[in-house]
Amino acid sequence: MQRGSARTKLIAAVVIAAALLAAWLWDGAAHRVPAPAVGQDQYLTDPVPAGRPRPVEPDAVAAPGAERRCSLAVRCDTLLANLELLEPAKQGLVPADGVILPPTETIFYEGESVFDLLRRETRQAGIHLEFTHVPLYNSAYIEGINNLYEFDAGELSGWMYSVNGWFPNYGSSRYRLQPGDTVEWVYTCDLGDDVGGGTAVGGT
Amino acid sequence: MSRRGREAFSSYHPLVNMLYFILVFTCGMFFLHPVCLLLSLSGGLAYSVYMDGKKSLRFALVYMLPLLVLTALLNPAFNHEGVTILLYLRDGNPLTLESILYGIAAAVMLIAIIFWFNCYSAIMTSDKFVYLFGRIIPALSLILSMALRFVPRFRVQISVIADAQRGLGRDPAHGNLWRRARQGMRLLSILVTWALENAVETADSMKSRGYGLPGRTAFSLYRLERRDGWALLFIVFCAAYILRGAAAGALRFVFFPALSGVNGDLYSLTLFALYALLCFMPFLLNLREERRWKSFASKT
Repeated sequence: MQRGSARTKLIAAVVIAAALLAAWLWDGAAHRVPAPAVGQDQYLTDPVPAGRPRPVEPDAVAAPGAERRCSLAVRCDTLLANLELLEPAKQGLVPADGVILPPTETIFYEGESVFDLLRRETRQAGIHLEFTHVPLYNSAYIEGINNLYEFDAGELSGWMYSVNGWFPNYGSSRYRLQPGDTVEWVYTCDLGDDVGGGTAVGGT
Repeated sequence: MSRRGREAFSSYHPLVNMLYFILVFTCGMFFLHPVCLLLSLSGGLAYSVYMDGKKSLRFALVYMLPLLVLTALLNPAFNHEGVTILLYLRDGNPLTLESILYGIAAAVMLIAIIFWFNCYSAIMTSDKFVYLFGRIIPALSLILSMALRFVPRFRVQISVIADAQRGLGRDPAHGNLWRRARQGMRLLSILVTWALENAVETADSMKSRGYGLPGRTAFSLYRLERRDGWALLFIVFCAAYILRGAAAGALRFVFFPALSGVNGDLYSLTLFALYALLCFMPFLLNLREERRWKSFASKT
């Protein structure tokens, strides 16, 4: 009886220790920064298609240069068909035509990124914008524009951007503006597939 | 001044006390409507101050007020949602009125619950707790009440031990640091020995008296009187009416993206009135008791 219970305790102790070790290893694996796969750069960006601009790290850009012109628009028309996915309190935020900022000719300064442009223009127009900086991708991440946030219309929803019709597969802080660029920020409800940008996030 | 000893609500049946606090905690933790928050806070504060007097008021001003300010400042540092942009923070994110107000609301809720818990611990003494739960979960309720009981007992026992040690010339408050530390360790060792022995003795004693055995009866002072029946009826009615109203969205209030919620319709007003009555119920009972006592005293 006494011996048996001692053995049970020993087995229990070994099992608990093994479980703790497994949990620790599992946790470590989950928190490790993923290593770039073959062909990816240090910020996990897949090779950029031929003919498209490569990312430029924001810290590599010196002081702002000369004034240039480009255009910017912010739209959320995919939400018009998915209005019931939004909370009732947020449905009033979607404009009737889905246009938050109509295509506008604006100026930018040589060396600025798409993110810099968005931040300045929304602030000037009094449009709400929330973002965080993500070191893993070395870029700002747009959480919400006009109080319409990521995941507000389901788990595949959020903000994406396109320049001259192409959805870059890297963050907006790393896209260096060129004169005459047409920048568009659009809200997707289906991980980019409903706005034509599914490829930017790994889709087909 | 403490009125804990002659408090009117604590003389009600434990079932009434327990149900009341469960209802108040649930409502206090889930209703985000500013009117509900203010009612919950003022009810808890009034009751707490009524029982503990200045001590409770000082606690509110010294600890709770800074907590309120801190959360009101902290929330907008991490949350930038809301349509009313006040100004822009240095990192470029906006500071919004809604996030500040939400921080204040969350702080008020936290503070209200802290005050309600202060009232709870004064009213739901461990004998009431064991009376209510001794049959259903004997082991857990005994452990809980023993553990809660240990804190004041330790405090008493440590001063007894310190007195005895002082009588032996081993005052833990005198001598150099090394000596004091050694005396302190000895004191602690005696205390732990006493606590362990005491726990074993209590367990043995409870066992020998058949605690937790089926068919064991327990003596208690509690009887469901007519006034307990009325109180129960009132609490159950409040629970049904208010929770039904909340489920129907009559207490709805959202902070984001813009402040909006019910404010004027008659149904919501009845809910607020009943919630106010619920939050101030123990306080009002005490006032009534006090007035009755004074009128008796003046007649004789």
